[in-house]
Amino acid sequence: MSESWRETVKPLASIRLTVVLLALSIFLIFAGTWAQVDMGIWTTLKTYFRSYLVWIPLQIFLPRHWHVPGAFPYPGGTLLGTMLMINLLTAHAVRFKRKRRQIGIWLVHLGIILLLAGEGVTALFAEENNMTIDEGQTVNYAEDIRVVELAIIDKSNPEADRVIAIPQSMLRKGRVIHHPTLPFDLRIDQYFSNARLMEQANAAGTVMAANRGTAVENNLVAQEQPVVSGVEMGEIDLPAALVTPVANGQELGTWMASLYFSVVPQGTPQEITFDNKAYRIALRHKRVYKPYSVKLLDFKHDVYLGTNTPKNFSSHIQLVDPSHNENREVLIYMNNPLRYQGETFYQASFKEGDVGTVLQVVRNPGWLVPYIACVMGALGLLIHFGAHLLRFVNGRKAA
Amino acid sequence: MSLTPKASLRSGGRFAAVLPVVLLALCAFYMISAFKAPKEASEFQLGQFGGLPVVDLGRVKPLDTLARTSLMVISNKQTMYLKDGEGTSDHRHAKGLQKVSAMRWLMDVMTKPEARNYTVLRIDHPEVLALIHADRDRMYFSVNEIMEHRDVLSDQIERARAIPSSDLSPFQHQLLRLAQSLEVYFKLEDVTGLLLIPPAHEGKVDTWQSFVQAQKSPEAQASPSPAIAAYPAMFQAWAQNQPADFNAALTGYLGTLEQGHASRMARVRFETLLNNVQPFMHCMTLYVLVFVLAIVSWLGMSRPLLRAAMWILLLTIVMHTFGLVTRIYIQGRPPVTNLYSSAVFVGWGAVILGIVLERFYRNGIGAVTAAGTGFLTLLIAHNLSLDGDTMTMMQAVLDTNFWLATHVVVITLGYASTFLAGFLGIVYILRGVLTRGLTPELGRSLSRMIYGIIAFATLFSFVGTILGGIWADQSWGRFWGWDPKENGALLIVLWNALVLHARMGGMARQRGVAALAVGGNIVTSWSWFGTNMLGVGLHAYGFIDSAIFWMLTFVASQLAIIGLAMIPQRHWRSTRAAAAATRTAAPAAPGTPILPSTA
Repeated sequence: MSESWRETVKPLASIRLTVVLLALSIFLIFAGTWAQVDMGIWTTLKTYFRSYLVWIPLQIFLPRHWHVPGAFPYPGGTLLGTMLMINLLTAHAVRFKRKRRQIGIWLVHLGIILLLAGEGVTALFAEENNMTIDEGQTVNYAEDIRVVELAIIDKSNPEADRVIAIPQSMLRKGRVIHHPTLPFDLRIDQYFSNARLMEQANAAGTVMAANRGTAVENNLVAQEQPVVSGVEMGEIDLPAALVTPVANGQELGTWMASLYFSVVPQGTPQEITFDNKAYRIALRHKRVYKPYSVKLLDFKHDVYLGTNTPKNFSSHIQLVDPSHNENREVLIYMNNPLRYQGETFYQASFKEGDVGTVLQVVRNPGWLVPYIACVMGALGLLIHFGAHLLRFVNGRKAA
Repeated sequence: MSLTPKASLRSGGRFAAVLPVVLLALCAFYMISAFKAPKEASEFQLGQFGGLPVVDLGRVKPLDTLARTSLMVISNKQTMYLKDGEGTSDHRHAKGLQKVSAMRWLMDVMTKPEARNYTVLRIDHPEVLALIHADRDRMYFSVNEIMEHRDVLSDQIERARAIPSSDLSPFQHQLLRLAQSLEVYFKLEDVTGLLLIPPAHEGKVDTWQSFVQAQKSPEAQASPSPAIAAYPAMFQAWAQNQPADFNAALTGYLGTLEQGHASRMARVRFETLLNNVQPFMHCMTLYVLVFVLAIVSWLGMSRPLLRAAMWILLLTIVMHTFGLVTRIYIQGRPPVTNLYSSAVFVGWGAVILGIVLERFYRNGIGAVTAAGTGFLTLLIAHNLSLDGDTMTMMQAVLDTNFWLATHVVVITLGYASTFLAGFLGIVYILRGVLTRGLTPELGRSLSRMIYGIIAFATLFSFVGTILGGIWADQSWGRFWGWDPKENGALLIVLWNALVLHARMGGMARQRGVAALAVGGNIVTSWSWFGTNMLGVGLHAYGFIDSAIFWMLTFVASQLAIIGLAMIPQRHWRSTRAAAAATRTAAPAAPGTPILPSTA
């Protein structure tokens, strides 16, 4: 390594920079925790921890009824994490000697590098979806409850449904969607990221109203709502879209597709009829289809005798995977997930009335990293401080 | 520690040799007397009765625990005043009444309608008092008094229940507490609904029944439990004041329990013992004594006082350990299961570490910080116990002995050691600024102690935090979720890492490390309690109103101490004293530089 290179990177390797970065990180985490009082965990994650710059409102540190305006810019988690990583790597390249005395420190720092890298892998590659299954139901897909899609379902073939799923990113007001296998185009007249359905008479503000389908039958319109993004556990946005199919320049009517109808079914599903053929139209959570299926045999929600404190949630399921010739029963419960084909199934939630379960399906290629990092870090600290302690005790004995 | 009396003879003669022994003996006597069974106030064997098992809030416990925790929820006390059908929790109106146990109160609640006239329901909030048109200087009310205002109260309670708990005003909080007190009271009053009847053989908790359930169950009718005959007999004997009948029925029933439920009864007996002994209360008293002895030892008579402090500290940690282990045995769980037990365990860990330090340095500092943290954490535990049962059942997601034994124990030791380092920092700063005690040698020792404890804290908080992540990965598929409690744990790791790096890089020396260690107290208290006060996150398992006030007070006090540390060191009393000593020792050289600042 040339000396000039060494001199150039030296400031990056300084321990003063380490201390400054640690201090900055401490404050960021502190602020990012306070922010969770008003903001959902996902929003906080995005704005504070997986960002380069964050504007931190002064309000988050103060009682909410004080109404303090103003915010200040602050380095985000990705920036600080990267800087710490650079600082650590250059320090080892420039400052640290490969001495036996320092083996503990090397181990600890290597463990931390692994952890940071693992968090990066998780941020980039981990997939988290939900599988909601009613008792007796069989499901072969997982849902991403942060993203919706507009599904047009052709059920004319009894063997298999034909589904055209329009991703959330295309659902913009004024957009016309053309699909080669659909006999009509779809015009998006309105889209709300979060909406509440109510009777026309009670609605105010920005409102969308259909003239066909479920919304009309139930005398409902949608009123725009601010995005919640999971402020409280289990609370989700309920988007709605106003859709007009157009064939040969002629409008077929205007339907309202709402996630609400998918979550809480309202009678028969709404359909667009064209050329004597019915097309179901639904706004639903984005589905990821799986090569296997899961049937919920039984869901159990036990409480402690004489209380409402939950003692256990468990899902007794049947896993069927023809491609691997698997057909077996599995019991998934708290702290006892099922790991299968690189995915892990956790008991995450349940449907009201204990009639169904919600499993979280996670694919995280980096899941093993923390285990290794933990062992390395613990070993490194033990060696380092253990050596200190031994020297200290021996020193006292000698004296 | 040298146990030969010769060393102390040198420093203070016979008195000095005897003093530690006498103090230790007194404390040992104090401790043993705590184990004595309380005297029965009447001919009824109420103590024995309190040892009968009942299922409440999901677990088998002695009636004595049910009585204490219920009275605690209702009146904030474990005893009350009673005589001839008149009863109150208010000591100002207790003239002519006798102080009685919670069990005695529960007996009346279960058997006598006039118990509704005992003024035991505590109401603090002026607006709640106004709601029932009560004088502001009254604090305790009877159930009958409250029920006169049932319409207006239930209306207000319904309103408070309709909104999320994070939005409750203090008034609504108090209302809901009152509602809870009433619920507890009516639950106890309805004896037929209590889960008093054990299954025929030792088995699951779920198979316990109430009288109402047993009456409806054909199996219970076919082979009735001895409890079904025993309880009515005892209640009747109590109501008619027939101690002999009462005791006979009680003894008979206890005999059947000992046969069918031997191992359950052993645990129930231990819990009754724990209730009677109150080991942590006595530990608090003893920690105060140790603290005072060790501080006074810095002023003079150091050897014998220090020795006495150390001996009593060892005695106290035995008692502390007894309480801890008994709780582990009763619950069949690792030591930390909720906020209360974490406080008990943080104190225990800090005291053990302090004892180790004292063993090495023998200068009273380990003893002072051990006793200080031990007392403070048990005080916190005591205040947390006012919420009711301290052995609550675990929420489903937390119900795993493996992770409770690893992650929770390790992270709690991380809290304990970070606190201990912080208190060592306080000793450094206060002795340096306010007294002449901080000699250069002592400064070096203290600094080394702080470093050692922070190293320990780093190890435990680092491993504990990652273990927590692994648990999260195991139970809900996410290693790190930036959840408040996780962030709190991470903050402790980062803070300790910051101190170590600042020290390593020469940015903080003795004084700086001491001040930073005190900062660790703030970070730890925030992770421990502050994150629960946010009211968000999967870990938020407790919320206490006044806790916010105390937390802020604590943070302010720590900031004040850090502020003291900011005073340039040449103005510290210890530094000036050392400088003056140098001048008197060498008057010929007035230009001798004062000690180099170690900022």
